[in-house]
Amino acid sequence: MPFDPSSGSGLRATGATANTVLALGTAAAGILLVLAQDVTPAWAGYHTWQYSAALGIAAVAVGGYALGARRGDDGELGMRLTFAMTGALVIIAAGIASGLLGPDTETVQRAPGTVAPLPDVGAAAFFPVAGPASIAAGDATVSLRRRSAPELEIAPGGRQFVGATVVEAVSKPAAYVEARDQSGAHLTITQPTNPSFLSPVLLFPQQVPLANAVLPADAFATPALHRQIKAFYFSKSASAAARTHGFAGREALLFAVDDDSGKLIPGGIGFAANGQGVDLGGVRLRPTLGSYPALVISAVPYPPALWLGAALFLGGLGYGFVGNQLGGFPRKRPIFSQSSEQASEN
Amino acid sequence: MPRNLVGYAVALVALAVVAWTVRSYFGAGGGPAGGLGGGPAMLAGAPAQSYEVKTLSGASGSLQSYRGHVVLVNLWASWCAPCRSETPALQELYRRDRSRGLVVLGIDQGESSAAAAAFAKEMNLSYPILVDEDQQYGRAYAAVGLPTSLVVDPTGRIVRGIDGELTLAQMQAAVEPLLSGGS
Repeated sequence: MPFDPSSGSGLRATGATANTVLALGTAAAGILLVLAQDVTPAWAGYHTWQYSAALGIAAVAVGGYALGARRGDDGELGMRLTFAMTGALVIIAAGIASGLLGPDTETVQRAPGTVAPLPDVGAAAFFPVAGPASIAAGDATVSLRRRSAPELEIAPGGRQFVGATVVEAVSKPAAYVEARDQSGAHLTITQPTNPSFLSPVLLFPQQVPLANAVLPADAFATPALHRQIKAFYFSKSASAAARTHGFAGREALLFAVDDDSGKLIPGGIGFAANGQGVDLGGVRLRPTLGSYPALVISAVPYPPALWLGAALFLGGLGYGFVGNQLGGFPRKRPIFSQSSEQASEN
Repeated sequence: MPRNLVGYAVALVALAVVAWTVRSYFGAGGGPAGGLGGGPAMLAGAPAQSYEVKTLSGASGSLQSYRGHVVLVNLWASWCAPCRSETPALQELYRRDRSRGLVVLGIDQGESSAAAAAFAKEMNLSYPILVDEDQQYGRAYAAVGLPTSLVVDPTGRIVRGIDGELTLAQMQAAVEPLLSGGS
């Protein structure tokens, strides 16, 4: 059913036409599409051509209306709304720029006590040292350090806007592993395949199908005893589903202990629940299970552009509708008419 | 005419904002601060992190205690063959240059105090040893293997980070510029 501006809509009193309503609706839809990037920034769809095309169509429609309205095609209200349309265009342009030029969403996970460069953010992320207590509590806070700018702290679940990116800290499964020999002496743990060679904290970067589930997995070594150890993380639900004997419904690690040549040591497979020790292949292992943050970095529309666009859009709407109803603004045509009449008289 | 001017001004500002927005995606500017990951060599220029750990006597100690000295930090473990083979050179360097303000600081990674003490006794070490059971120094110094050595200046800044075994001549070359007053 076509839109009828005379059908009783509240906009009728303001002089709105079908074109006005259509343009405002398109502008609002474009703005909502752009603001969605701030609400769910990690969604990959923002970097697709379809998203950019949708915003492009909105921009052409809004821009076309604004140009026509400037010429007076949509009456006095249309002329007043060009400010709002300009604001909408700024916001939509920011959204297109973020979708087309912004980097794809990236997850940065590093061992406690290490530093990761974030070139897209222009910062370095300092992942704090975490002992068993901090891993169990899952409360480690990552610092972002930038030159000539204050340091930013991001707690798990938190986010910070930095330039045209948003950096979120998300909790990932982690385990602090303590290894001892048969006499109880502490053993060095190394992670030869991970960038953080000397970290006793497992971050489970791999996903391995096991026991009818896909489990987070990691590996480490105890060079003093010539042991290589694989660790598989069973969450409460995974251990319940796998009906692990004695561990069902509890968080636990499944260890598999190999020798230097990668051959499984007899009796080298076993579960250890959170905080519980287990003796496998000559190594006493005790995991503390919990979480450690990873950073998810996503492109977002440049915030200053959004603020300026929003100010123009909202201010323009006020100028258009409220100003039009008050009628306190000078009208272009009578002024020009009077001037030309006066000119001819003179 | 003034009304047109306002319109053009708004359009110009909008264009400038769009250009500014686009620019924000090409190089975040400023660059990261501090040392970056990727091995100990990348740490040059960064402040040396310090953690309280145990000494061989069971007391508390840290790198911070040696502020004001040129410190050659050496991360090691008793099971590590290259660490074992470079230790005599570290002891010799300490004996020679201790009087010039050099401290060699051995930091055992992940082992018990007993293991570290047995190693120090076997190698007849006189330089200070810290026992870092939680391997905090190794993580903070981006160690990609053992041994890992770092030269720290008297202000607590890392001058060099070196992965792997060093000879006495290489150690001497690494610390000499600082001992003789250079940087």
